[in-house]
Amino acid sequence: MTAYIIRRLFLLIFVLVGVSVLIFGILMTFSPERRAMAYVESPQQVKDIPQIIEQHGLNDPFYIQYFRWLKQIATGNLGWSFVAADTVWDAFWYYLPITLELNLFAIPLIIIIGIWLGTQAGIHKDTWIDHSTRIFAIIGWSLPTFLFALIMLMLFYGYFSVFPPGIISDHIQMFILKNPDKFKVYTGMYTIDGLLNGRLDITLDALRHLAMPVLTQVVVVVALLMRVMRSSMIEEISKDFVITARAKGADKKTVYFKHARKNALIPVVTVAGWLVAFSMEGSISVEIIFNRRGIGWWLAQSAISLDIPVLMGVCLFFGMVYVITNLAIDILYAAIDPRIRLT
Amino acid sequence: MKKLLVLFLGLLWVMGSTAVYGGVKNPDTFVLADIGSVDTLDPAKNYDVAGTHKIWTVYETLVFFDGPHTDKFVPVLATEVPTVENGGISPDGKTYTFKIRKGVKFHEGQELTPEDVVYSLKRAMICDPAGGPMWMLLEALTGYGSTRKGGKIIPGIFEKIDKAIEAKGEKVILHLPKPYPPLMGILCYSASCIINKKWAISKGCWDGDIRHAAKYNNPPEGKEPLQSVTNGTGPYKLKLWQTGNQFVFERFDGYWGPKPKIKTAIVKIVPEWSTRKLMLQNGDADRVHVGKPYVNEVKAMKGVKVYEVPQLAVTGAMFCQKINPTGNDNIGSGKLDGNGIPPDFFSDINVRKAFLHAYDRDTFKKEVLNNLCTMPPTPLVEGLAYYNKDIPVYDFDLNKAKEYMKKAWGGKVWKKGFKMVITYNTGREEREAAALMLKENIESLNPKFKIEVRNVEWKDYMVNIRAFKYPVFIIGWGADYPDPHNFMYPYMSSDGTYGKYIGYSNPEVDRLLKAGIENVDPQKRADAYNKLQQIWYKDALGIVLFQPKELWAYRDYVHGFVPNPMFPPAEEFFYRLWKE
Repeated sequence: MTAYIIRRLFLLIFVLVGVSVLIFGILMTFSPERRAMAYVESPQQVKDIPQIIEQHGLNDPFYIQYFRWLKQIATGNLGWSFVAADTVWDAFWYYLPITLELNLFAIPLIIIIGIWLGTQAGIHKDTWIDHSTRIFAIIGWSLPTFLFALIMLMLFYGYFSVFPPGIISDHIQMFILKNPDKFKVYTGMYTIDGLLNGRLDITLDALRHLAMPVLTQVVVVVALLMRVMRSSMIEEISKDFVITARAKGADKKTVYFKHARKNALIPVVTVAGWLVAFSMEGSISVEIIFNRRGIGWWLAQSAISLDIPVLMGVCLFFGMVYVITNLAIDILYAAIDPRIRLT
Repeated sequence: MKKLLVLFLGLLWVMGSTAVYGGVKNPDTFVLADIGSVDTLDPAKNYDVAGTHKIWTVYETLVFFDGPHTDKFVPVLATEVPTVENGGISPDGKTYTFKIRKGVKFHEGQELTPEDVVYSLKRAMICDPAGGPMWMLLEALTGYGSTRKGGKIIPGIFEKIDKAIEAKGEKVILHLPKPYPPLMGILCYSASCIINKKWAISKGCWDGDIRHAAKYNNPPEGKEPLQSVTNGTGPYKLKLWQTGNQFVFERFDGYWGPKPKIKTAIVKIVPEWSTRKLMLQNGDADRVHVGKPYVNEVKAMKGVKVYEVPQLAVTGAMFCQKINPTGNDNIGSGKLDGNGIPPDFFSDINVRKAFLHAYDRDTFKKEVLNNLCTMPPTPLVEGLAYYNKDIPVYDFDLNKAKEYMKKAWGGKVWKKGFKMVITYNTGREEREAAALMLKENIESLNPKFKIEVRNVEWKDYMVNIRAFKYPVFIIGWGADYPDPHNFMYPYMSSDGTYGKYIGYSNPEVDRLLKAGIENVDPQKRADAYNKLQQIWYKDALGIVLFQPKELWAYRDYVHGFVPNPMFPPAEEFFYRLWKE
């Protein structure tokens, strides 16, 4: 198994090179002038385009620009993001905790709720439980994230004034700024840093800001997992071993939850793994509506603005996330189903 | 599970309810929910309004606009505004003398000296990053619009910069190669902000030796040393900049001027209107940026005070007379055969006049912009010197439009018809409305006339304008400094940002533009700009669609706002405000 993991991680290098050549190639299809415009914000600046092209070597052949970028990466320099107005490396570490914090709460909830509701719907096929989860799934899946997020914001912030947008309250932000010795930033995630600093009020304040984004993320993403779990569960409980066990008088709870559900989880793990990787890109709508500037927002903004160093750097990161997630899924398969061996 | 959920929500509810209270929220804190992020805080590099606002919050200039005025100034780091009368400006208009204020401290404790002023202006011009704002000072002080030509440094340019500014005792003297009337406005711009020499050198800026200047010219993106650090003399210190997210400013207690009432100023970047609106409604923002489509929503809000401020800006629809036909589907077949237009379609003034008569100014003003605009006859807009409201306009008259179309291209246009595209940049609803209005009105003249309205992402849009790809493009311009030159040159010069790309070249216009900028005599300037405005009408170069008014929406307990047409909504002068 160790050899298998090492081999898969070794393959990661080739995946990343492939991803980088592909993205770089796509970006090179834009004219040098168009790419130079990425550095321009107002009509007044447009007259300097030839200088910008020259300054950034945007007229050089593809391979020169690509190797220049590779050389830069090799020295640990991921380039400059004009969207973030910072180095890609520093900006990445600023935006990542914001997205990570959202997913830290959303992903476990998605998995727990998805599996639980899917199991219930599968067991109680064609009953009111099944029908109501189906309606819930349809609403969650078909309702645009943007709209759902907006409704949540209007209701819980606009009407009840309870769950505000943003990451943390201004007075707490000011306290942290003025007292760097009293509050140490460990992770960049206020929910965790609050606990590590013994400041429950900061954790709770961060949770208050997180509640609606997490709820939105859960509602829109959980539907897929739930439906997969339901189908898989229905398939498993109709198998002979379940029918036999039930005929022999085995307890329904034990058969369904201990035996059938374990088998039903295999396809669910694939979807869940994919959802984890997908969620890491951050829901752009959630980040925009609730004003949490994370990786998703940064990537979307960089794509619109052709911020090439960001697109290259962040896509490589997501390439890694997907490869590692797939690896984790494979390992999980083996744990769930002993018949599967990793070689 | 249920109990846990209830407990969790309950806890959050309690936390939430503790943060909500009535009256004036956070009386000594001001929160602006804005939309624009910032690239840099280096005065020499920044060239957008969001960045200018942050720089003006932290740094100061020698002089600044006097309250609501664009043509009157107040001294800031200088002790008085130089004029010919007080001897600050030489009679020939080529020497400006500023006496520097004493007792001014930088945020890091250094005292302001005339040497800091000399260094700041020289360093900014030496730096001159590509796409930056330094062309303004360079043009005024050296006669060149850049330190480089064809990517190479202009020989002797740094020596010119060096000789242009000098410190003499408590004074700083600027030597101009030619009189340059807009100089005072340029000295108000963020690019003319004063930094501390020793501090800047310690951060890696120009070392003060003119022989080394080339090394510090046009630094690569992100390599300008003052990109994210500040040390100004302004009323606020930069406490925090989270890129793309927020700025936090804190009152500078060592400020030389009156102590601002607002202690903490926060600018949050909130791109989504609904979120901004709710923040204003809940009092979590004291002012929010309001887009044009939401004006009526804001006016109807309770507890909100709204100001309408005309802007020194203009939007126009420009006719390109030399369209590039290569691979250009914007002109259809490229011929006058009913399925396209020839590349020089708009070189016939009859076509241009027909389009001008098809623009319904009154309906546009009322229905599209909710009267939040003025309708100047030329790009020399209201609020600028030499604005002439009596210049005639092509009134909305479809019969006249029809007559001109019948005359165009010897009658061929009317007989064959045409097909073309009108473009605007994505997201600008008012520009889309103008394009659609022109389309409908022109198409109503003759069923053989076909116009498609197309939106293009801004960056692609500018590239294609420069490639002469669009027959009619709708575009705007905002003031760099409040002078007619800054408006007439871009729109009318054969080398202007738009004049060049509509393929317009008129030696008389270029001569008048030169006369306008090189004369200090107000009468001579007035003559030049008056003639230019008349030529704009006579040559029918484009449609001046509107001069915008912008909306400032504050909570009603915020006081102290001073409107000035030079400043777009991204600007906010926190030191003038208070909450009660």
